[in-house]
Amino acid sequence: MNAFEYASPTSVEQAVRALAGAESSEGLSGGTDLLCRLKDSVSSPSRVVYLKAIADEGFRGVFAEGDGLAIGAGTSLAALLADEAIAAKYPALKQAARSVATPQIRNMATVGGNLLQRPRCWYYRSGFGLLGGRRDGDTARLVRELEGEYAPYNINLVGLPADGHLVRLGDNRYHAIFMTDGDALYVNPSSLAPALIALGATAEIVGPDGSRTVPIADLYRIPSSEGERELTVATDEVLTRVLLPPPKGKNAFYEIRQKQAHDWPLVLASVCLEMDGDTVRQASILLGAVAPVPYRAEAAEAALAGKKLDRSTAEAAGQAATTGAKPLSKNGYKVPLVKTAVKRALLRAAGDEYWTAMEA
Amino acid sequence: MASWPDSTRVIGAAVPRLDGLAKASGRAKYPSDERPDGVLFAAILHSPHAHAKITKIDTSKAEAIPGVKAVHLIAEEGATVRYHGEEIAAVAAESEEIARDGCRAIAIEFEVLPHAVTEEQALSDNAPRLTPRGNTQEGRAQQDGDPDAALAEAAATVEGHYSLPVITHVCLETHGQVVRWDGPDRMTVWASTQNVDGVESEMAGAFEIPATNVTVLTPVMGGGFGSKFGADTWGVAAGQLAKKTGRPVWLFLDRIQEHLTAGNRPSASAKIKIGADKSGKITAMIAETQGTGGISRGAAFPLPYVYEVPNSRRQHTDVRINGGNARAMRAPGHPQGCAMMEFAVDDLAEALGMDPLQVRLNSLAEQDTVPSGDGQPINRSEIYRAQIELGRKAIGWDQRKSRAENAKAQGPLKRGFGMALHQWGGGGRDDKQVTCIINPDGSVELRSATQDIGTGCRTILAQIAAEVLGLEPTAISSNIGNSQFPPGQASGGSTTTPSMAPPAYNAALKAREQLFRRIAGALDAEPGDLEARGGVILVKGEREVPWKEACRKLGTMPVSVTEGFLEGLTAQGVGGCQFVDLTVDVETGVVRLNKIVAVQDTGLILNMLTWKSQVYGGVIMGLNYGLFEELVMDPTTGLALNPDMELYKLAGASDIPEIEIIPFDNEQMRKRGVIGVGEPPTIATAAAIGNAVANALGTRVPAFPMSPWNVLNALAKA
Repeated sequence: MNAFEYASPTSVEQAVRALAGAESSEGLSGGTDLLCRLKDSVSSPSRVVYLKAIADEGFRGVFAEGDGLAIGAGTSLAALLADEAIAAKYPALKQAARSVATPQIRNMATVGGNLLQRPRCWYYRSGFGLLGGRRDGDTARLVRELEGEYAPYNINLVGLPADGHLVRLGDNRYHAIFMTDGDALYVNPSSLAPALIALGATAEIVGPDGSRTVPIADLYRIPSSEGERELTVATDEVLTRVLLPPPKGKNAFYEIRQKQAHDWPLVLASVCLEMDGDTVRQASILLGAVAPVPYRAEAAEAALAGKKLDRSTAEAAGQAATTGAKPLSKNGYKVPLVKTAVKRALLRAAGDEYWTAMEA
Repeated sequence: MASWPDSTRVIGAAVPRLDGLAKASGRAKYPSDERPDGVLFAAILHSPHAHAKITKIDTSKAEAIPGVKAVHLIAEEGATVRYHGEEIAAVAAESEEIARDGCRAIAIEFEVLPHAVTEEQALSDNAPRLTPRGNTQEGRAQQDGDPDAALAEAAATVEGHYSLPVITHVCLETHGQVVRWDGPDRMTVWASTQNVDGVESEMAGAFEIPATNVTVLTPVMGGGFGSKFGADTWGVAAGQLAKKTGRPVWLFLDRIQEHLTAGNRPSASAKIKIGADKSGKITAMIAETQGTGGISRGAAFPLPYVYEVPNSRRQHTDVRINGGNARAMRAPGHPQGCAMMEFAVDDLAEALGMDPLQVRLNSLAEQDTVPSGDGQPINRSEIYRAQIELGRKAIGWDQRKSRAENAKAQGPLKRGFGMALHQWGGGGRDDKQVTCIINPDGSVELRSATQDIGTGCRTILAQIAAEVLGLEPTAISSNIGNSQFPPGQASGGSTTTPSMAPPAYNAALKAREQLFRRIAGALDAEPGDLEARGGVILVKGEREVPWKEACRKLGTMPVSVTEGFLEGLTAQGVGGCQFVDLTVDVETGVVRLNKIVAVQDTGLILNMLTWKSQVYGGVIMGLNYGLFEELVMDPTTGLALNPDMELYKLAGASDIPEIEIIPFDNEQMRKRGVIGVGEPPTIATAAAIGNAVANALGTRVPAFPMSPWNVLNALAKA
């Protein structure tokens, strides 16, 4: 870890100024991601700006906003989980929050941090960047870049083909199965983002030039070259609030992970269903942990539109959700998980948790 | 020949650990908690490459960092590093953070060499030559009878190919020590070790000072599992840094180094052909096995295992890779051998159309003799039969359905049952000693160099003295983990308690005898008139003199005796079996454990609480092996990808099912004497889990761990 300046502003305005006034800066909220990156020298900002002392109204907590809700970015996941309005109207969001890490981590981690954490890809976390070690399309000299003043290791790989990609050649069991034609093969790590996108939420972002509001999906992009961030929020901007429109119909979330305790999702799905009686008028189906961005399962949405929601249509929608999957060498197992996650999220929304009990 | 008392008050009882509250409350001071005055913190710089020659090392930038006090090179210019994580240098500084900065400021030029970090890479045609003798080493061929003919005649045969990955010990307290020089030829070492006496002699040897001048202290420690027997390069480095700076040096590995350089359990794979006769008794087995123990260690494991296989042949190959070296890990070799054997036995039962439990019963040797402390040998096969019956009932084996029935069952949840048998030694060594001191104020102290690796040894020794002296265990100071004390057993092979309990008993008996001799006169009695019980000295069966008052009659001189082994108090050779009930969700590949039953014999159980704690710990370690653990190596970069506790997965509380422990504890077992229990209960768990998964799915998942990808990949092929 390199030494850094530390700022602890008490307002968003001060925070933006502090973030903007440094050579490189990072916002620190719960620290459950940033501290790991700092210690592993994956990130070495010259200034760390602590966001938890911000006292602006609305920055922390869940508030009524019209017929919807406004969630402060500084709200802890534990508080999100405990909120009665969310439990009543947005069960998908509550289920997503509950799936994250452990109670201790949820006490520290925040909504903003969950949305803006960096990918967990083990090549990225080992210092090879987000694009499998490729620098401008060339891996002839692969650089392991641990940032900062002391960067002692350059790894010159022996025998790596010039078009080689660490993720494609290596262990990609946790990597993307959609949008895998490019070089960004990590998966978006946020559990809340797919739920929020399905629910039609937007994010309020404050920067030096004032405030802007974008759909949650637009927080993410796919970098085309190393050094480009996968987040659209600039380093001198602060995510301040998440705005949830009034709930439309049913919503639910389902996550598949190896361990019950403290684990990352292998695949997750979040759905929001506008209903006409028993029939689905419009479905919003988002997948997590399968692509470099939260991934909208359009084929599944189309398969469900105008259908009655039952086990057979849910199964068909799950199958449709796998359309376009192009798994890598070791993660083909995720394709059936997509089907299962979508089917179960849909049936959870319908109150049919068929997978919780053995059939007689 | 000595024997344990027939009726006991404290021995065998469920006595809470004497240091339990201190440990649970954080008051206990572990070696890594030690901060002697003036302490410096040190960090290790490790190899970022799987294989490279160090062409240049420049430490000047590191030395120039304010707060860096000394740099010690472990590898010199010209040396070759052979795995990611191998130690290169150590830096001592005023804080751990500065020490890490110092490590990063050491400029090293490497000539990167081709690597092979997986067995597949190491065995490929264009693999680099990793050792002068090549990348493989053949084990000695085993042959018994005529397996080819026996397989040809078998009523049923089956062929399987099974594999287990490399896993690591994941000691919660990482490897390391604090070293303080107390003079030019004298040092104190607070070491996180399972071998206090061994660290003493290694440090004395490394620094060419008398062993008697080295004091190694391990009052408590945070896990070793076989990986903490030595002083290690970092122990010597800490000593060098302390010498250079004239200040005590704290040096503990970080989590990455703990995974990569502090030992692992080797991988194992086996191609097995096995056959049985019509009655369902194993008749033959042919196995080709393989494993890697890193760059220079072997990957041996026992096979055939437990069962009698009259005709067998086996060829084993150790594969060298650019990986950290294996170290002993809780029952070295046995979990691998058990999984390979038990998978084959289960698959064979399937081919026979028989209950695998019955094939196991059929295939036990008629006579499997193990010793007993009372000189009456025991047939372990009879123990297994009785244990299997207990486990069968406890798990509800009769609810088990066949693989075919489960495969046809509706719904995503499939329930499966599995079992496995294991064996272990666990006897005592006869060359260790314990001192028992009774002070005139009535306080009692035991002393031995041996350490409590977490098994409860400290409490057990106190119980033994308490039994003999008629006191409560809390009245005994059990001072262990100090190399200045009489020689103590290293904690390996489940030998600590069986090695230390006899001398503790012996010393307490002799101390009591001496006490009686010295105070009898003052109590107007003969030594033979005295008894110690219930916190008093009972004179002639009538008069009660409180313990403290009686001890005051000693005057100023305490009773102090040091005694060794007694024949007849220990034995070795245990058996056990484990049963697993689990549910597999075939739409997700996720395995959830419903219940595990562990039946275990280890002779005389000295403390039922710490004994059970060992079995719980062993089962949990085993279920991690079965479900979660795997050190992942990247073939391209040669680096380990998950040297952490995040993607190196370990069970949390919600992943652990009900665990029912059945002590196989009866008169005959108690007469055997003390046998260690640290290792056996971790052996069979993963094997039983794998068999339960096969039962649930109707198909074998050949590769551990039983993860969603391995489960779904096996289902896709089925």
